[in-house]
Amino acid sequence: MSEFLSSFLTGQLIVSVTVILVILHVNLIGVAYLILLERKLSAWIQDRVGPNRCGKWGLLQPLADGLKLLLKEDYKPKGADFFLFTLAPMLIIIPALIGWVVIPWGGVWDMPEITLPLVGTIAGGPVTVAGADVNVGVIFLIAVASLGVYGVTLGGWASNNKYSFFGGLRATAGMISYEIPLSASILAVLLLSGAVQPQRLIEQQVAGGWYVLSQPLAAILFFVCILAEANRAPFDNAEAEQELVGGYHTEYSSMRFGMFLLAEYAHLITSSAFLMLLFFGGYHLPLIPWLSPEATGIGAALLKVTVFFGKVLLTIAFMMLVRWTIPRVRWDQVMKLAWNALIPLSIALIVLTAVMVFMEWTAWWQMLAMNAVVLGVVFAIQPLLPKSDLQNRRVPMAGSRFSPLPGEVVRTGAMGAAKDESGVARGSRGVVSMS
Amino acid sequence: MVKAGPVTDRAPIDSPDSGVRPRMLLAFDQSAYLPILLIIMMAIAFAVGNIGVSLILGPRREGDVKSITYESGMNPLGTARKRFNVRFYILAMTFLVFDVEIIFLYPWAVSFAQIDPRSPDGSLFLGRVLFFLFTTVVAYVYAWKKGVFRFD
Repeated sequence: MSEFLSSFLTGQLIVSVTVILVILHVNLIGVAYLILLERKLSAWIQDRVGPNRCGKWGLLQPLADGLKLLLKEDYKPKGADFFLFTLAPMLIIIPALIGWVVIPWGGVWDMPEITLPLVGTIAGGPVTVAGADVNVGVIFLIAVASLGVYGVTLGGWASNNKYSFFGGLRATAGMISYEIPLSASILAVLLLSGAVQPQRLIEQQVAGGWYVLSQPLAAILFFVCILAEANRAPFDNAEAEQELVGGYHTEYSSMRFGMFLLAEYAHLITSSAFLMLLFFGGYHLPLIPWLSPEATGIGAALLKVTVFFGKVLLTIAFMMLVRWTIPRVRWDQVMKLAWNALIPLSIALIVLTAVMVFMEWTAWWQMLAMNAVVLGVVFAIQPLLPKSDLQNRRVPMAGSRFSPLPGEVVRTGAMGAAKDESGVARGSRGVVSMS
Repeated sequence: MVKAGPVTDRAPIDSPDSGVRPRMLLAFDQSAYLPILLIIMMAIAFAVGNIGVSLILGPRREGDVKSITYESGMNPLGTARKRFNVRFYILAMTFLVFDVEIIFLYPWAVSFAQIDPRSPDGSLFLGRVLFFLFTTVVAYVYAWKKGVFRFD
């Protein structure tokens, strides 16, 4: 028995399971307190007080919210598909909770040899302080992140509510559109690194400068895309309350709604950690020797975990400031931004990075110069691109007095508001532009 | 099973470890995936457990009016499972083209950063992928002209 166990239990496995057990709980509690942080931040921005009834500064508010969600009625609307309706919140929380498992929070720890009762001696050696030390870490992250779209789609479809349905449609279209520039900007980094192992990515950034210096455009693309992937403002058209009530979770209540809420913030943690890993050196901070990959003590590993979490927290706070500062973008503009701007830009970035790697100009200042040139070219040709003449026009509603059907007489009564001086119904231009 | 050695920055082209074959597909160590299984099971348990507990603890009061879907106070007309705009289908198909293309480029990108660009393989690697990207750009321009990316 003990031979079997000791052949199966490696130092890496013990560390992995410990990290998973610790960070899962840190994550779940962190998610609850991120909701409080967001409410406090929004209150601060809007000059309000924010939650302050439960405990000091509202610190017990997440607990109260969780209890309330558990004790509320789990309601199901008439005509909803019960199986899919229950499956959707699970499908959205599960990918959100497993993505971070490949993030190397603490770098490499040189584990000493330990002796456990019943098992025997476990050989020491370098182990990665991560949930799972897999070679395909970045691929795993992308794969898991794109699974989140199923929960949104099914939630919108199963509710039998038109608001949910439209919200689900919008969210699905938006999430799949922003997945392309997301994976393309990661590709631009992988072209420089030549490795998909998260730990290797950090080591190379320590050696050759953070990738935000080499690929600032890719970093910006990535940041915009993770905002859109998480359905965060300014891309939160799926739950635009002014038009769609709650979007795909309109009909959800109780803990099923809580799963959607938790998933959004868990997704924020994962994607911020991903951003830090790819572009901001992970746990690395310059000038601190304990935060370089050479430091392999247990103290260094703990400090690295702390720094990594600090960076993630700063990113999330920045995302929250973005949410409460920038107004929501209209849905067709969101889609146009993805397909007509971000995707061509990301493909151009891949091609240029490939050429730079081919020419062996991969120092960070050479890549930075390339990015600056790309940005300059974009701003130079942007006024020359064909403009759509359909921007910000009135959306014609066939049969209304602004957009009459062919042959229909517009009766405006005493108001006469629908006609301009020429006596032509104003909306007719809209009808013409439709054809 | 090929075990992964330490990845050198630029492996010599004639070594068996050169990046011509996509290393990330070959370097596969199953025991590293056990923790992923564990976290997937824990996530499923968390999701199922939470929803189950709220089903048990919460009250249950049914009612005809209560179970009507919420449409801002109006009585809902018909079902929500209606036909929707064909643009979403076209968009999904275009997405498939681009997403699969990018995923194909991942093994290439990792290998390309590892090989010596001055070797004949270097220009071959670059040239083929540039042609592949060019075909995608043609498809992209075609789709734009066809009005796939019009969302108004």
